[in-house]
Amino acid sequence: METPTSGSGFRPDAAISEAAGRFFELLKTFGTAASGATPEWSALAAPLATQFEQWLRVSQSAGPWFAAAAGVPGAGTAGAACAASTAAGLGFPPAGWPFASLPLGVTGASSGETRALELFARLGQLQAQLAAHWTEVANTAAQRFVARVGGTAAAPGSVDQALKLYELWVNCAEEAYAATVHRSDFARLQADLANTSAALLVEQRRYAETLARAFGLPTRSEIDALSAQLRELRRELTGRGDAPTAPQAPRAERRAPSAAGTAGTRGTRGAKPPRPKGASRASRAAGRGARVRRPPR
Amino acid sequence: MSVADAGRSAPFPELTLRIADTLARLQRARDVAVGCSEKRAVWKCGKTTLYHYLPLAATRRVPRDTRPLLICFALVNRPYVLDLQPDRSLVRRLLEAGLSVYLIDWGDPDDADRYVDLEEYIERHLGGSVRYILGSHGSEALDLLGVCQGGVLSLCYSALHPGEVRNLVTLTTPVDFHTPDNLLSKWVRGLDTALIAASGNVPGEMLNGLFLALMPLRLAQQKYVRLLTSNPDQRTVEDFVRMEKWIFDSPPQAAAALAEFVRWFYQENRLVHGTLELAGRRVRLGDVRSPLLNLYALEDHIVPPAAAAALGHYVGSRDYSECAVATGHIGMYVSRAAGAEVPRRITAWLAAHR
Repeated sequence: METPTSGSGFRPDAAISEAAGRFFELLKTFGTAASGATPEWSALAAPLATQFEQWLRVSQSAGPWFAAAAGVPGAGTAGAACAASTAAGLGFPPAGWPFASLPLGVTGASSGETRALELFARLGQLQAQLAAHWTEVANTAAQRFVARVGGTAAAPGSVDQALKLYELWVNCAEEAYAATVHRSDFARLQADLANTSAALLVEQRRYAETLARAFGLPTRSEIDALSAQLRELRRELTGRGDAPTAPQAPRAERRAPSAAGTAGTRGTRGAKPPRPKGASRASRAAGRGARVRRPPR
Repeated sequence: MSVADAGRSAPFPELTLRIADTLARLQRARDVAVGCSEKRAVWKCGKTTLYHYLPLAATRRVPRDTRPLLICFALVNRPYVLDLQPDRSLVRRLLEAGLSVYLIDWGDPDDADRYVDLEEYIERHLGGSVRYILGSHGSEALDLLGVCQGGVLSLCYSALHPGEVRNLVTLTTPVDFHTPDNLLSKWVRGLDTALIAASGNVPGEMLNGLFLALMPLRLAQQKYVRLLTSNPDQRTVEDFVRMEKWIFDSPPQAAAALAEFVRWFYQENRLVHGTLELAGRRVRLGDVRSPLLNLYALEDHIVPPAAAAALGHYVGSRDYSECAVATGHIGMYVSRAAGAEVPRRITAWLAAHR
């Protein structure tokens, strides 16, 4: 499940509307508790904890980590399905499972699928552990709030009072959250989630490579090998002094830069570096991207 | 549930109206522009572009031999936050002081850049920018301003090439990555960096999610509720939207460089231990001997103040000053208070070190 701040791209309208919706929900909860002559703040603990836990599960479902796999076709669906099926106590593989239907040879398919299934299962276990932490955080936050508000507050009779209650709730919730997420067991869990998600991504790509190879398509490994050769060549040339240590400037100056999202950016046509004044030959050469020879240190 | 539905049955109808008004202003602010000062691209390396800001009209008669200032921003965010809008622009304040300002924009690494590592970023991209500027100005050394992660890169470069950096300014720059309050560091300590490198470039959205997860309710809920309920005018809403655009406009990260950054700095704390090597050479903070101004934020949840203040213990500069500002990480670049104090301190310090 995606929230406005997760997945591919932030949607500010959605995030703000979602925050407003949750805020109203919270105010209603406050109002319900305070509807009698004497506010029953202790009655707030359960609904507050439930709301907060639900929000944590949705917004932090796999920590931030599984987003890395969201860019891979099938991975986001599978990840969400994995989280959902874990929450619902269902088995694996989840719906949208990208491995089952691919036409691979028997050996390749079985080993790749087995490994990926193991990773999904592991991810499910970790999600369950994460959910247990959210339960703890939500309950602690709610208890903290009730304890602090109980002795002092009357029913919120104005907008300002309601906002103060909201601020108090946020403080209690963040304190409870911080107390848990700074612990070493939580940090280990975050790392495990990230590592398992990354391993799954690698496994999926390996599987895709097998498929590409079967169809005679270029693979990532081949491109990587070419890239490594190019880098090695460049290093060799640089070492022999046949290539500049820094790329040439003039070509870039003739091309407009990518300036997405910025205003006031002037094009590069005619962009000349200031004429060197008293520059040494070496430093002028450096300005043109030529090799700079420095005295040995 | 829509906001309208939620608000209709909510207590305090006036609050519903207030929120509806703010939502309408947000709609009008959707296409607000970011970035304000004129600049031109003067050099390029891979996806990295070096920009030179044009002098402001009021200061166009800057002598050509003005010592240049190079801003090295973080890889994980875009640098236009330093020039967001005229009244919130560190760059503009520096230009007003008559400085010749350059800025490195690392661009958007794609899959062809997944093996670009820190050595390449520091020696070829940052180093190439420095050499270009020195050549253009005919200078032996320049002033370097490193921001956040860019401050780490700047420290490395200054340690390896001390003769090329006359003055160094670090802004919200982590040095000791193992201070007890560093949540980000705790979370990434157990990451398998080989797996990160193998799984390819990391999308910007993932890092955004990570930063939000440090304080989720404050950063993904309370912030919006405060805006919605505070009766903001159109200008305030537009300022807010500009910040939101920047926060969530994060570039992807080259896999190799990110994996190295996590391992060398967050996991192994090599800057502090003096165990970092780049291009076959040891990077020692003790070799940074240029005058140094270290600015950091007291309420920084990404770079805790202790992580930045540690620089004073390790750096070799005899002329070392530091300044803690009462704001948060992003507030250092754009908040009203810090927006005045930070540029003033930087320009005054640079003027005193001419």
